[in-house]
Amino acid sequence: MDTINVVLNGKNVQAHKGESILELATRMGYQIPTLCHDPRLEPFSSCFVCVVHVEKMKGLQPSCSTKVTEGMVIDTEREDVKKSRKMALELLLSNHYADCIGPCKETCPANVDVQGYISLIEKGLYSEAIGLIKDRNPLPAICGRVCVRPCELACRRNLLDENNGVGIDYLKRFAADQDLKSENHYRPEVAPATGKSVAVIGGGPGGLSAAYWLAQKGHHVDIFEAMPHAGGWLRYGIPEYRLPNALIDQEISTITELGVNIFTNKKLGENISYKDIQEKYNATILTIGSQKGALVGVEGEDADGVFSGIDFLKNMESTGQKYDFKGKKIVVVGGGNTAMDCCRTSRRCGSEEVTVVYRRTEAEMPANPIEIHESKLEGVNYMFLTAPVKILKDENGKLKSMVCQKMELGEPDASGRRRPVPVEGSDFEIECDYILAAIGQKTDVNFINDINEFASNGQLKITKWGDIEANKETLETGIPGVFAAGDGVTGPATAIAAIAQAKLAVNSCEQFLNGLPIVPPAKEFFSRKENFRQQEKHEYAGKFKHQLREEMPVLDPKDRMNFTEVELGYESEAVAKNETARCLECGCGAVYTCDLKKHATDYNANQIHYAGSFKEYKVDFSHPYIEIDNNKCILCGRCIRICKEVVGAEALGFVNRGFETYVAPAMAMSLKDTKCESCGMCISTCPTGAMSENKLFKPGPVKTESFETICNYCSVGCELEVQHRGGFVYGVKGSKGQVNQGGNLCNSGRFGYQYMNDANRLLKPCVKENGSWKDIEWSEAFEIIAKQLKSSKPSESAFTVGARLSNEEQYFIQKIARAGVKTNTISSFHYMERGKGYTENSLASVPFNELKFARAIWVLNPEMIKSNGVAGFAVQSARKKADIPVTLIVEGDNHLMDHKADRIIAVKSKYTFIKAMNYYLLNSGKQNALFINGRTEGFEAFKESLLKENYTSLIAASGLAQDVIESLADEFNNIAETVLIYTEAGTSSNAAMEINNLMLLSGKLGKTGSGVIALKSKNNSQGLRDNGICPKTAPGGRKLNDAKAELEALWQINDLCVETDFSIKERLKSGAIKNLFIFGEDPVGTAVNTDEVKSLIPQNAFVVVADYFMTATAEAATLVLPMAFPFETGGSYTNTQRIIQRYEAEMKPKTGKSNIELLNGIAEKVDVKPFSTTEEIFLEFASLLPANKEVLFSFNNTDNDNQRNMFVFGADNLVLRHQKQVADLMKK
Amino acid sequence: MAQTIVRVGMASCGIAAGARKVFDTIKGLQNTDHLSFELQQTGCIGMCFREPLVEVIDENGCYLYGEVDAEKSLEILNKHVRNGEPVREYIVRTDLFVTPDDPFFKGQVKIALRNCGVIDPENMNDYIQQGGYEAVKKIFSNNISREDVIQMIIDSGLRGRGGGGFSTGMKWKFAYNSQNETKYIICNADEGDPGAFMDRSLIEGDPHAIIEGMIIGAYAIGASDGVIYCRAEYPLAIKRLNIAIGQAHEKGFLGKNIFGIEGFNFDLYVKEGAGAFVCGEETALMASIEGERGMPRRRPPFPAVSGLFKKPTNINNVETWANVPWIILNGPEKYAAYGTEKSKGTKVFALAGKINHGGLVEVPMGIPLRDVIYKLGGGIQNNKKFKAVQMGGPSGGCIPEHLLDTIVDYDSVTATGAIMGSGGLVVMDENTCMVDMARFFLDFTQKESCGKCTFCRVGTKRMLEILTRITQGEGRDGDIELLEELCEQIRTSSLCGLGQTAPNPVLTTLKYFRHEYEAHIYNKKCPAHNCKKLLTYTIETDKCTGCTVCAKNCPTNAISGERKLPHLIDQSLCIKCGACFSKCKFDAISLS
Repeated sequence: MDTINVVLNGKNVQAHKGESILELATRMGYQIPTLCHDPRLEPFSSCFVCVVHVEKMKGLQPSCSTKVTEGMVIDTEREDVKKSRKMALELLLSNHYADCIGPCKETCPANVDVQGYISLIEKGLYSEAIGLIKDRNPLPAICGRVCVRPCELACRRNLLDENNGVGIDYLKRFAADQDLKSENHYRPEVAPATGKSVAVIGGGPGGLSAAYWLAQKGHHVDIFEAMPHAGGWLRYGIPEYRLPNALIDQEISTITELGVNIFTNKKLGENISYKDIQEKYNATILTIGSQKGALVGVEGEDADGVFSGIDFLKNMESTGQKYDFKGKKIVVVGGGNTAMDCCRTSRRCGSEEVTVVYRRTEAEMPANPIEIHESKLEGVNYMFLTAPVKILKDENGKLKSMVCQKMELGEPDASGRRRPVPVEGSDFEIECDYILAAIGQKTDVNFINDINEFASNGQLKITKWGDIEANKETLETGIPGVFAAGDGVTGPATAIAAIAQAKLAVNSCEQFLNGLPIVPPAKEFFSRKENFRQQEKHEYAGKFKHQLREEMPVLDPKDRMNFTEVELGYESEAVAKNETARCLECGCGAVYTCDLKKHATDYNANQIHYAGSFKEYKVDFSHPYIEIDNNKCILCGRCIRICKEVVGAEALGFVNRGFETYVAPAMAMSLKDTKCESCGMCISTCPTGAMSENKLFKPGPVKTESFETICNYCSVGCELEVQHRGGFVYGVKGSKGQVNQGGNLCNSGRFGYQYMNDANRLLKPCVKENGSWKDIEWSEAFEIIAKQLKSSKPSESAFTVGARLSNEEQYFIQKIARAGVKTNTISSFHYMERGKGYTENSLASVPFNELKFARAIWVLNPEMIKSNGVAGFAVQSARKKADIPVTLIVEGDNHLMDHKADRIIAVKSKYTFIKAMNYYLLNSGKQNALFINGRTEGFEAFKESLLKENYTSLIAASGLAQDVIESLADEFNNIAETVLIYTEAGTSSNAAMEINNLMLLSGKLGKTGSGVIALKSKNNSQGLRDNGICPKTAPGGRKLNDAKAELEALWQINDLCVETDFSIKERLKSGAIKNLFIFGEDPVGTAVNTDEVKSLIPQNAFVVVADYFMTATAEAATLVLPMAFPFETGGSYTNTQRIIQRYEAEMKPKTGKSNIELLNGIAEKVDVKPFSTTEEIFLEFASLLPANKEVLFSFNNTDNDNQRNMFVFGADNLVLRHQKQVADLMKK
Repeated sequence: MAQTIVRVGMASCGIAAGARKVFDTIKGLQNTDHLSFELQQTGCIGMCFREPLVEVIDENGCYLYGEVDAEKSLEILNKHVRNGEPVREYIVRTDLFVTPDDPFFKGQVKIALRNCGVIDPENMNDYIQQGGYEAVKKIFSNNISREDVIQMIIDSGLRGRGGGGFSTGMKWKFAYNSQNETKYIICNADEGDPGAFMDRSLIEGDPHAIIEGMIIGAYAIGASDGVIYCRAEYPLAIKRLNIAIGQAHEKGFLGKNIFGIEGFNFDLYVKEGAGAFVCGEETALMASIEGERGMPRRRPPFPAVSGLFKKPTNINNVETWANVPWIILNGPEKYAAYGTEKSKGTKVFALAGKINHGGLVEVPMGIPLRDVIYKLGGGIQNNKKFKAVQMGGPSGGCIPEHLLDTIVDYDSVTATGAIMGSGGLVVMDENTCMVDMARFFLDFTQKESCGKCTFCRVGTKRMLEILTRITQGEGRDGDIELLEELCEQIRTSSLCGLGQTAPNPVLTTLKYFRHEYEAHIYNKKCPAHNCKKLLTYTIETDKCTGCTVCAKNCPTNAISGERKLPHLIDQSLCIKCGACFSKCKFDAISLS
């Protein structure tokens, strides 16, 4: 490779010739942001985010399209470069009318991922949901009952269903209750002990949360709580009818179970001193809360009978005694949630009359509307626009009445609410026995002297409002190692705000404990629709239906004069699931993968710096798999280009120009009506969320785990990355595989994962009794099989094996049949009586990445773009990138692939067309004699037979003129680097054999950029041949007779049945088969002629079907065995180019048995030694594969074109299901 | 005695002014009256300000009549053609005596425009009679090698007249050096600058000159196919090109073995552009010819290496091609005798805007702009004060009064912040608001951006929004700095010339007229009294006679007052249309 010397960021480096600056810099470890570049595509240079400085060049250069040249001096990190990148990002963002996250998450003080957990709840993954919540809020069961729910106010469902936001809190409570109830409630992983310890002062929501996260990090955490119980205001301020103490205890125990200690009745400065804490702990977090209640603030408030509301509540909780308000009149002053707790508790204490006095109207009340509603049901009265002026007392100082004044609303104040203004001369008096002031709390830092006396290196300071002074960004106090969070810092706020503060304090504390500089958490960029304008109903009206909230079931008001919990929780999973459907999925599905967001965060971009007009587009959901959201599009053109350069569908294009430009399907149609192949390659390349998967479930997004595996649809062998959480597969993307090098996938690979989530999957063996299915245990199933086999002769059993199964599974099944059951009636419906034609061709298949070395490509089946999509991309890439002309041979009226061909030759019959070419070449002596003599066998017989054919009839049957055929034959013969591609799905086996003959005549096999690619239907079609799933063939592909001795030695048997000269089809029809085992295929469901195939399933025989689902074939069985998915077993497939691709077992089988365990169960019954691992099987069958010696290719005679395959989709039920789903969705 | 010739200027400008009717009238007279003269049509004569133009050539000389309508044409025919008595008062130019319009021609040197207004563009023989196709014949008869042809063009100093100013000869040399069986030649006739009509006039007036130039270019670089990419808005130009191509085919000047030279094949066709300004950019132009969306791509590879259909391609604009035959025929030295050290030959300009003599001129390089505007152009309309001249269209910049002695020369013009461009000169007087002018050009480039790259697509939009709000009196402190920031980045980080030069009008107006921006933003005043939202019309009570004309003409009934008593404008209703101002006979309405 030629090297070029360049200077990159001051260093001398060697670049490759033809390399771009971006490629070089990435290789050298420099991060250059880019949005419009995808290595699969030609550089485009539209985003200008990847610019770099190059000496002696004008302006800045897009590094993606600037090639390195000798002596180039490049700087990728100068200030002007960064400035330019930032500006490009800000300009893009100024027209990016989209949300990264929903308003729920954004508004939540703790930024809990609401949309994510709603998605998990929809799938019934409650503990996963709780795990997600607990990252930001360790008290979901508590908050699910008492949170003030800013998320629900911000919820855009309010726009659609008139102030009826998603019941977020109800869902959270439901999930939390389900989790607490479950045997394995969510418990986070705890890091190994760090040896560091932290003291947390105060066991309220903030302190508990801090302890939870610190303990998770492996620190020793002790909480010191002044009161007799932990919980803080959750316990002492919130009445039991809203939040039962038992529940508080239960949720606290999910924290203490992580090793957190709670010491109660320990008040700092009184029962414990900072002196000891400083000695014993590495750090301290002060979460002391705001404990002091305020009174009414008017003359006479010292009267006997006037309390602060929180003292009223706290006293009852700490004494365990309820106030006796029987016959009393109570006035509650205030409009917040504490006022609600006071008035509703007062009712429960037997009061005769409770009146809430509030100086504004109900609309301005800060209390949760549900609370107001419930209080009214419970008989609480309201006096709005009323403010206390004076409290009157009798001579004993006892409360007599309260003088109030009427108010009216004036101009809005700083909070945005209209300010109450007194109405002159409107004073009036309310008689009452008690006044509960619920108008605020104060922080009481009563340990200030203690801490400051003993703190060795700093002082704790108090703000002018009496709160602890702490750095707002990091919550550090004046004493290093002491952090403060919650109400004690902010003044009285909410539980969720205290939890949010605790998270921040823990972040700083963690840095402190690790000796790092204390910095605030990195600021993440979030695009917001509100940066452009207020949201309105019409934006959502089309996409989602009107659906009112599933309301919370409550106690009947007449049953409430006690402290029993009023809210009962959703009654069923169905109700909860129904409520999840109301989520509008405001947050972007690409939030975890979006490059725009990542770069905007890295460059600290500001969305409104260049604010101006913006474009707003309707989201296009018309395609069942692909959603186009132009609002999120940055016009990088990657989708358009991949669809053109790699897929070749050209389904997308730019419309309009300048600022009005947008991406749309061709001719403004729905993508459904274009040449779109629904492959989702556009999604794979989109750097934002503009092209996304239109999922059939609540998409989240949630962070997922992933594993790599091999696609089990067709024979190309694409590597997949399966993304899952809690056992649910959220999506699949292409991983950069050996075959699909750029991560390319077709529709089946990308969207065919629905089966993995299908609730109808078979999980237990079942047996048919009196026409209906009965679940049985595995052991029972094996017993039935054993019994059945014992009662019949070996020759009465037949085994068929699906092309979907792994090499290990296929091999093991034939071993069970041959070595255990002693039958040689073993085959696959997939290749019933036609396998040779196809499998012979793959002996020297051209690797896809060699297509670029070809000079011509001939495609015999337009079907390839559907059946083997990724191979189609390889052809189109070679055509576009390397300018290789594609000749398409079509039979009949098939225009599937016309747009991807440079020449189309329509024939009547491919079989006769190829055969005529063979005749011509042979007859005119143009065959490649050198190749034929050295590398083939059977030539003379073939020649003799072929030349007996009537050339004229062949020509006539092919549908082309003689001179056309001959010139095509010459062309094919003369251009050495020609690759011919055909699909099994659209080619008869005899045609495949004639193709093989053509390749041999022209000597095209075994050379670079020349030869044949036979695209098989199934992921392991090739394995069927290699594993001997055929009476005539032994594992390894040899003739069974030839391998007899070796097999008997290996299997330690001496009676291998070598009866090979029979037709399986006939044998099945004959009634000789009493036991039929069908593994992993669905001949009935995929039959071209169902009646014909049904006649092959012997009547009254014992039929065992092993599969994932109750297929049409399984329905006809006696016993059905549930198979594990490939990623529950592991194994290997051999792709159409004979690359053996291995994949691992990544999940536990939901069926309880991996497929190897399943087969072991049967093997044991027939005295075949079980295998312990897939590896062991792999090594056994690999030992039977032929050594790497040169094989002779065989000529084969065919007499006429035979019928196409008896089965569609390689007799595989998975493909059948998926294709059916595609067809159904496309129809909608 | 030679027959009298009557020629009517029938370029688009003439036709728009009514030349077709004049031509038909004359033709009608010729048919009915059996008056003996030869009636011809010709291309743009250049004097757009005197259209329609009719030239009578008799034994005594040439007489060009201006502003001829049907009636005048009859008079001219009767008096001049029939009776030999020229109608002196209509004559705008003659060799025989001095006319007031003579300065328009004085100082012009017509090389590219040599045949415009002289020959009938639809008659190939006219072209041949003027020495047409002699340059090609000279090459073949003297066996001038391809290398020597290229050297002649290099020696002439000809630089790209589309505005780029790159050495034409060098460009040819690159394409010549690219090894490929197939090469292409393209003529860029996608002229799109507002106010520019050089290329259109050239094609309409002398299509064969371009074809001949392209044949020479094709020979030099070894191309066998050529495309003239002409905007569809130029139907007459396209028609005349197609006629000319057909004629050239018939003569064997295009096609196989042209000019009888075995193996020299060259064919041409006209591709009509769909009206996107950006298709004037060469890579976008080629994409458009290929049937793709007209979007530029990054260079390199340059077209000379990988151009149309990935083959080596040479692109020059109309004026450049038109110069080529002249240079070959007359020798590079003769061409290089005109001009300055680095800018040789002549340049065609389209004079437009607030200038007295709007039209098409060709001047030698090196002439001061002041001469072009005041001598050829006849100064500013209505004796107003000159403010600036926008040179180079939307990609160019403005040149203010104090730089008016700048000479026509690529480097001198670039030094001012403007560019030579393709030759558009838009003159502005004291009533032109420079902020609004910049806004106008930016509005154009913003709309014409192809939408591909970020800075051009979004950046120009943001600039336009800022300029718009400034002209509407909503400018903010910091807007100038924001504009400067955007200008700088758009200039350095756009993919093609459109984006890279889009900020030029703003940059130059900020450079020379910053005070106007500041007046808009900080004083909410438009010094040129142009920006409507910043104007206030008031009635001066001492001048108002109460005639009620203003009130009657006010479309929003904003003016009230008793008859014979001073009137008053309700500013809240006034939409600043200026109707009152223009109708008042007593100058009682003032503007501030």
